Amino acid sequence: MGTTISWETDVEKAIARAKTEKRVVLLDFFNPG
Amino acid sequence: MDAVTYPEQKVVDYIMDHLLPVRIPFNHERYSKEYSIEWTPTLIVLDSDGKEATRSTGFLSPDELIAFLHLAIGRANFAAGNFEPAIKAFDYVAEQFPKSAFAPEAIYYRGVARYKHTKDAKPLREVYDRLSVDYPEDQWTKKSYPYRLIA
Repeated sequence: MGTTISWETDVEKAIARAKTEKRVVLLDFFNPG
Repeated sequence: MDAVTYPEQKVVDYIMDHLLPVRIPFNHERYSKEYSIEWTPTLIVLDSDGKEATRSTGFLSPDELIAFLHLAIGRANFAAGNFEPAIKAFDYVAEQFPKSAFAPEAIYYRGVARYKHTKDAKPLREVYDRLSVDYPEDQWTKKSYPYRLIA
């Protein structure tokens, strides 16, 4: 069985990590139903 | 996306290798307004400074999602003036996903990035030449129309 996407939920924390790690952030606005 | 695209292992691997993924309910009190969310799914890619590089609304198949995300990485580098990695990203989308809806945009921005990087206008002419042959009806072909005049 494969792995799954490890979604973060904290936008600010992800942006802070992006600055440090020089990566880009994917925001997925979804309908939780 | 949850039923078809996100479970694909190549999508999982791509996202975890290249991005910091965050999920937000569309009706989140703060972020829905801050990012002007009108419909789902809406995917927004932020550069490493937190600025929006590009967005897509609506379903994307696994290959279309990877093409979109790689184009977004190129756009983020392009906006930051990092033209060499931008060109590399656009090149990847153009050559690895030629049937993607995002390929013409990648070809367009690859030419613009080459021009901005070298100040040589020839890559702009090459944008029009390539797009007019391979994607004659695409919006990016129409946007490149003036470049046909470049010698």
